[in-house]
Amino acid sequence: MQEYTEKIFLELINNNKAIIYKVSKMYMDDAEDRRDLFQEIVMQLWKAYPGFKGNSKFTTWMYRVALNTALLFLKKETRKVDKTPLNENIDLADVNYSYDKEEKLAYLYKAVQELNSIEKALIFLFLENQSHKEIAQNLGITEVNARVKLSRTKEKLQFIIKKNGYEF
Amino acid sequence: MNFDQLKNDWNKPETEETEILQSMLHIKEAHTPIDKIRKQMKCEFFVQLASLLFIALTPRIFGFPPEIKPVFMAFYAVTCGFCAYYFFKFYVFYKHSYDLSLDTRKNLLWFYYEMKLNIELYKALTYILAFIVLSFAAVYLLMVRGTIFQHILDKVSMIYIILNCFITILIVGLITELWAKFYYGKYVKELKKIIDKLDDE
Repeated sequence: MQEYTEKIFLELINNNKAIIYKVSKMYMDDAEDRRDLFQEIVMQLWKAYPGFKGNSKFTTWMYRVALNTALLFLKKETRKVDKTPLNENIDLADVNYSYDKEEKLAYLYKAVQELNSIEKALIFLFLENQSHKEIAQNLGITEVNARVKLSRTKEKLQFIIKKNGYEF
Repeated sequence: MNFDQLKNDWNKPETEETEILQSMLHIKEAHTPIDKIRKQMKCEFFVQLASLLFIALTPRIFGFPPEIKPVFMAFYAVTCGFCAYYFFKFYVFYKHSYDLSLDTRKNLLWFYYEMKLNIELYKALTYILAFIVLSFAAVYLLMVRGTIFQHILDKVSMIYIILNCFITILIVGLITELWAKFYYGKYVKELKKIIDKLDDE
């Protein structure tokens, strides 16, 4: 039974692993921290899985657990802080199909590191095509508040990206 | 900046995504502040347990006179009673699982208040134990005649003794506050900051 549940669960999260991957990349700049957060999210999803009753979509449930884990995650304190300038840090060597897209996203991820944890959650949910209402429900705030915060965060993000010498 | 175009790029599949394997489901150590506090609490539980066992041996080690032994037993029983009560409370906290599928605000508030509550419990236990130790020391000095402390006490005024007890409790309180702040305070502070950002209109 346990093995069967694990198999179903693995299938579900492998189909939606982009969510975990993107959350990890948004919240952790360092590759090792990112890997740790990725594992932590997978583990927390598995721990929370018995509580998933199917009242909401699996992805909605995943957004919540992944974001909450990222917000609470304590990275290892001994690691060095990455202070490499933006353009030197973006490794595009393994990009084999869309330079433009990868470059854009690389700049986006780098800029997002300057946002606070709530702003990161807002931008993440927005990019995942969530409506203001859904963002508000996921974060536990009012719809008006979500709208205002998102608007401010988008402005801030634009400013950071521009400041970093990029525009799209 | 075209956010619609950005959304399109964002939602295209990533190249770096790796397969999630079964082994990743069974990592034992979680990294939330609550898990960190629980780990710390587990260590402290064993230290406190060892301390209780050590205290049980103090009459033998320090050669307490026979008249003080029943008093010691009474104080020791009270100490064990308080420890058992608080250990049970800590155990409940330790076993209380969290639900990360709540909305972010509820989730953060749950962690925040759960941590605050347990830090307060932890402090309360320390104050109680400090008070018991101080009371026993006072009874010991009043009952056992002929010790060096007795001679010193005979020479100083009652106000001085009361003042000393008061200052000792204050120092214990200060150390406890600093200890709690050093070990747990930073997590609570960090959570409070995130909650404030979320509530900020």
